[in-house]
Amino acid sequence: MLSDTTRSRLVLAVLVAVALVLLVVDARPSGDPVTSIARSGGELVFAPVAAGVGLVSGPFVRVHEGFSAGPEAADRIGELEDANAELESELQAARIDEHRAEKLDDMLHLSGLGAYEVVPAQAVTRTTARGYAHTATLDAGTDSGIETDMTVVNGDGLVGRIIEAGPRTATVKLATDVNSSVGARLEESRKIGAITGGSVPGGPEADMTLELFDLEAPIDQGDRVVTLGSHEGAPFVPGVPIGTVDEVEVAPGALSRIARITPAVDFAALDVVGVVVKGPSEDPRDSLLPPKPEPEGDQ
Amino acid sequence: MRSVITLLMVAVAVLVQATIVNRLPFDWGSGPDLVLAAVVAVALTTSPAAAAGCGFAAGLAMDVMPPAEHPMGRYALVLCVAAYLVALLRANTGLGGSAGGRISRWSALGVVVAGSLIVGLGYAFIGLVMGDAHVTVGSVAANVGIGTLATTLVAPLVTLPVLGVRWMLTGEDFATIQGPISVGGW
Repeated sequence: MLSDTTRSRLVLAVLVAVALVLLVVDARPSGDPVTSIARSGGELVFAPVAAGVGLVSGPFVRVHEGFSAGPEAADRIGELEDANAELESELQAARIDEHRAEKLDDMLHLSGLGAYEVVPAQAVTRTTARGYAHTATLDAGTDSGIETDMTVVNGDGLVGRIIEAGPRTATVKLATDVNSSVGARLEESRKIGAITGGSVPGGPEADMTLELFDLEAPIDQGDRVVTLGSHEGAPFVPGVPIGTVDEVEVAPGALSRIARITPAVDFAALDVVGVVVKGPSEDPRDSLLPPKPEPEGDQ
Repeated sequence: MRSVITLLMVAVAVLVQATIVNRLPFDWGSGPDLVLAAVVAVALTTSPAAAAGCGFAAGLAMDVMPPAEHPMGRYALVLCVAAYLVALLRANTGLGGSAGGRISRWSALGVVVAGSLIVGLGYAFIGLVMGDAHVTVGSVAANVGIGTLATTLVAPLVTLPVLGVRWMLTGEDFATIQGPISVGGW
């Protein structure tokens, strides 16, 4: 029933072998020159077409938004652009509101250390062909100063981090991806934890789940969570809002407290985002250290 | 001529998939797969070796396009094998059973459904083997189910036109060359 010529089978075998070699080569953590050249080739075709699609679809998107979300949605694009323009100054203060900005600045010692530098970009894809990974493509790349392991934010908070950057496009792993893990800090109590995309085993069904390392930490519905920040701001800069606590799971015998998080960012309506290309001018971790003791004071 | 037009149609399917379909915000996960729908149409009108080549090329093109979220070659492998199987089954069994080697439109849609299921499961299987944390029973069931449904819904707009163009460009004398080996179906 499945008879075929030897030559035809040979072709299939060769193609399968090539695909397997590509898979193995590209799955390695270090970048491979062959696959990165191939990706830049794909991007060469993709970038102009995506820009054209964006240009053509703009009016349709606006009309769709006007119909789907009422009259106030018509101003949404303008609002987003304004929000993006204000982002730099907003991030500098890591402001969530006036009162808490002081606390945040005190705790992180970020005030006066210099601004984050943000490169604006637009999300040009939101879904993937097979729907597993939560990733988006941005229409800016290494030509604009974007590198892998940079934080991506928008006017509302944390979007994700760059996992792959070509000359003109970049791939963002969204914070809701199952493989995404972000160091987080509770705004009120300063307790630290980790936010994972999706649900964790034993946790509730969620877009994001917070695991607090301190079992005794007070945590309530409505508490806000910001990024803890990584060493030298890669992949995450500190102080970016991630979301609010929605529901706290009380699991007897658990080693950590689990809470469901409502993301600050509306991932379904991702549009204009900013990539933090430069963190604070000084490493804020140094300023968290206590002042050096003065030996001459003991004499 | 026929191969140039085919190449053009598959390339357009890849670009539309990468820049338009993937841009739409599907809250429920996966959207339709135009590339698969186009490749099935090509596989139904060509030899197994050529089908495998076409599937590999289209899959590799999708792998190379942003976003770079899965290792290169994953989709190429699955699409190559799926296209080969479709062409092989057709060449050996005269799928659809119609005379003259042309399968009916409804059978073509049925092949798209089957191909979509094979590709969805194959893609998930490679993820499972490579330790992709996205692959869980729930996510695979949802993505394969919804993806197959969406692909089937767009298939009349992709598979049937591609099939029609390829039939049109085939000379009448050669229409039966790819037909059933034994007369009368099996």
